[in-house]
Amino acid sequence: MLGRTAQNLFWLSRYVERAENMARLLEVGYRMSLTSRREGGASEHLMSMLQAAEVDEEFAKKHKLADVTSVSQFMLFDETNPSSVRSCLLAARTNARTVRTALTTEMWESLNSAWLEFAAIDPRETTGSRLVELLQWVKTVSHRYRGALLSTFLRDDGYAFSQIGNFVERADNTARILDMKYYVLLPRTDLIGGDVDIQQWTLILRAASAHRSYRHVYHDRYKAWNIADYLILRPEMPRSLIFSVGWINRTLDMLEEIYGGKAAGHAAAADVTSMLEGNSMDRIFAYGLHEFLTEFIARNNKVTEALAESYNFYG
Amino acid sequence: MKISLRHTMRFSLGSPAHAAEHLLLTPLSTPQQKVERWSIEMPGIAEAAAFRDAFGNRAHLVTQTRPEGELVVTISGAVETFDKAGVLGRLEYDPMPALFRRATAETKADPALIEGLSPVGGRIALLHELMDRVHQAIGAPAQMQVQGAEGQAQDSELEPQDFAHAFIGSARALRIPARYVTGYVIDEETASFHAWVEAWDEGLGWIGFDAALNLCPAETHVRLAAGLDATSTMPIRAVPVWGEMPAETVELLAE
Amino acid sequence: MPGPSPFDEMTNADGSVREPYLILEQWLKEQPPQALGLMAADAEGIFRRLGITFAVYGSNEGTEKLIPFDIIPRIISAIEWRRLSKGIEQRVRALNAFLHDIYHRQEILKAGRVPEKLILNNSAFCPEMMGLEPARGIYSHIIGVDIVRVGPDDFYVLEDNLRTPSGVSYMLEDREAMLQLAPDLFQRYKVAPVETYPENLRRTMESVAPAGAGSSPTLAVLTPGIYNSAYFEHSFLADQMGAELCEGQDLFVENGKVYARTTMGPRRIDVIYRRIDDDFLDPLTFRPDSMLGVPGLFDAYRAGNVTLVNAPGTGIADDKAVYTYVPEIIEFYLGEKALLKNVPTYNCTDAEQRAYVLEHIAELVVKEVHGSGGYGMLVGPASTAEMHDIFRAKILARPDNYIVQPTLALSTCPTFVDAGIAPRHVDLRPYVLVGDQIRITPGGLTRVALTEGSLVVNSSQGGGTKDTWVLEE
Repeated sequence: MLGRTAQNLFWLSRYVERAENMARLLEVGYRMSLTSRREGGASEHLMSMLQAAEVDEEFAKKHKLADVTSVSQFMLFDETNPSSVRSCLLAARTNARTVRTALTTEMWESLNSAWLEFAAIDPRETTGSRLVELLQWVKTVSHRYRGALLSTFLRDDGYAFSQIGNFVERADNTARILDMKYYVLLPRTDLIGGDVDIQQWTLILRAASAHRSYRHVYHDRYKAWNIADYLILRPEMPRSLIFSVGWINRTLDMLEEIYGGKAAGHAAAADVTSMLEGNSMDRIFAYGLHEFLTEFIARNNKVTEALAESYNFYG
Repeated sequence: MKISLRHTMRFSLGSPAHAAEHLLLTPLSTPQQKVERWSIEMPGIAEAAAFRDAFGNRAHLVTQTRPEGELVVTISGAVETFDKAGVLGRLEYDPMPALFRRATAETKADPALIEGLSPVGGRIALLHELMDRVHQAIGAPAQMQVQGAEGQAQDSELEPQDFAHAFIGSARALRIPARYVTGYVIDEETASFHAWVEAWDEGLGWIGFDAALNLCPAETHVRLAAGLDATSTMPIRAVPVWGEMPAETVELLAE
Repeated sequence: MPGPSPFDEMTNADGSVREPYLILEQWLKEQPPQALGLMAADAEGIFRRLGITFAVYGSNEGTEKLIPFDIIPRIISAIEWRRLSKGIEQRVRALNAFLHDIYHRQEILKAGRVPEKLILNNSAFCPEMMGLEPARGIYSHIIGVDIVRVGPDDFYVLEDNLRTPSGVSYMLEDREAMLQLAPDLFQRYKVAPVETYPENLRRTMESVAPAGAGSSPTLAVLTPGIYNSAYFEHSFLADQMGAELCEGQDLFVENGKVYARTTMGPRRIDVIYRRIDDDFLDPLTFRPDSMLGVPGLFDAYRAGNVTLVNAPGTGIADDKAVYTYVPEIIEFYLGEKALLKNVPTYNCTDAEQRAYVLEHIAELVVKEVHGSGGYGMLVGPASTAEMHDIFRAKILARPDNYIVQPTLALSTCPTFVDAGIAPRHVDLRPYVLVGDQIRITPGGLTRVALTEGSLVVNSSQGGGTKDTWVLEE
């Protein structure tokens, strides 16, 4: 397979995953802004969401006020925001068009029709319940693509690069969501969180689609320690860091089998894995949650660089 | 005359992932010269592709992967030259002479140069007359420049290729096939890279005309390659394109 | 339109239906009133989902459009096809022989049958190709011949496309769509298959692999990238024949050989179907500012380490000014009369012919010598007096830049339009592959001018396509 094809498949999956995560983040920000009772609270929530997506500076350049309209327009439709849903879907489709022949018809059609439908949406008509509907649709697009991939794609190197892209992006996103609100997760003497904390914790869990499944795993009320544990170290949670990294490792093993031999990507992934395997929340808190997440994001980025180097992504 | 020389060129390469050079730096043995030995030294030359180009020259394609810094090319060889009064004749791999009636951007005709010239008086005489005119016309402003206001001798901006292009443009305008030739010229103790022209005559074949020196190349000229114009006959073409002219030296070696 | 009504592919002047269309006529009658409209809508959905679009130059970058597809097929009888394909084969043989000659001994120029100046000073002539010996002596392996019909037995060749003819993917997808939309029609007709094209393209390319490539050469399609109007076709063909779809940046030359950058390291490439124009193919030999090409590719080709399909410099044989000489070219190399007619062409550099052209411009078609795709062209009868004046001035300014032909009454074919079924003008581009043998795909691309009375069938000018059926005996 051409190095460029591998690169395209890798980024294609990243963009689809990112579109989904952006929709989820925006959904949370929107919900929080509706329920915030404090003066200026809505704007704060929306801003912290923009920070998590690392687009707050870009946003500030264009908008004075962070309200639902300006933020949702920016996160959904803004062409200059590289992480907007529009940019992600267009980049995904452009990547797909470039490697059209490496995809199955089902994968291509899911992306192509998603883009055509999205391009036909009038941004002015996406307020209130329409907005929620649209965000739901974005998540469905991602699910549809992943479903098409899982049920039709050959399990070869192309599949491996797609999967690694998907889970590198997911790990990055989960780490950012945690980092956005890490301070509300820090252990405190105050054993029972107040209403504000509960609201913040719900936000984190919702942003990772984990607010319902949390109960199934912990059978307990929301607790900061549990929430951090859930999103970092629980192997059964499909958006947790350890799950994502585990998936990357398994997929790299598959590449090793196909290509015969380990490449630099393995070493980089091992570097990330060592932060999680055998670790505990106690030790992570002792190390510093924010420091831990920052380090994780940096090491996770190195996986992309190492893959690019090993598999000729950039020729 | 036995000529032994070494030509060294230094290029700044930058640090591209790949560099590729097209070389026209290998002389053929012809009635005017016998190549006794010839070698090119540069990174990648051992794996280079050697082939014949469209104009009958021996060409090389040389590539380097992740080259660093400077590329040094050293050509050295020994050639015995013979005085044939400029007549090269026909070479085995020459393309059809008519090809060299094709005008290119560099070989524009100057109407003044060919005014009144007619092939009726015999082609050889005409070509000599043309060489004379080109030599005078192109050379004249240069001499004025040399005696310029500052009163000191200064290097003329003129290159042999200006003479050659003027000659070729004029010859082609008269429907006479003419081609651009590169090589070395020996002047007593020194040698330099040079360019001249070959024009076609049905009877004699290709005949050399060096309008810069106003003579037909004889024992003093070592012929490297021929083409449509200077661009198509460049001794080295490269990608990435070199920003600066190479630093080069041509030395005559004692046998 | 001046003169009597043009020849119709389906219906004779007396109203009777021509033999190949009898079953179709019956079928059309059987369709319920809304059926054709629904089929047309379905067809659009099929094409859009598959991503078959083309970019339109001059509109916003990245704008993609569907080429309209007409659901009524164009049908050619076996006898008609046999005549046509003989004529086409004769042309591609002669034109390849011509290319070999002008890049070697130039006998046809020495014999004075084609003016030397027209060839050697032509910008489409590629001096770098002199003396090169391509595999099997073939220069143009992939050819699309544009043919128009003006009567039952009256076919003219408009253009021989010997560089990189496009549209073959539409031929294949039109058939695919037609099979989905009207399977019952295929049960009533015996239609020759076109689906063999990708496999035949593969065989053609394999047959011209350089010596030493082994029994299973590695093939690649070289594309300028996704913003090229024909990118869909490039990826489609690469996929269909199992070749790697490469951009210039995916290939590199080392040790005089061409390699692709793959996830497993360099992979040797033997035959390249290049869809990049000559000028952009290799910055080391051609335009040094080309970002699309591969440095050293042409030298690797000259060194015999890779085959380029089609060869650079084939444009000299489909140059509009050389076109006039094709009958001469056929006679010179094959000793035969041309089986397919050329459209009579006026040479504007000749004073007498120019005078005629300027006087009669309202009846004529004016084409730029190096134009393509219907750009920079005048169809006299369909243009305003103002346009006539503009083109008169253009011709006077650069008489060598234009060729002029009479307006041909292109045949019409029933077409499904808003108002129902109506005749529209069509042309035909059959596709030819030249390798170990000459393979002509039975059928081709029928382009149809969707505007009533229009003679311009180019997709860039609002033309559509039709599935083209060649009936088996």
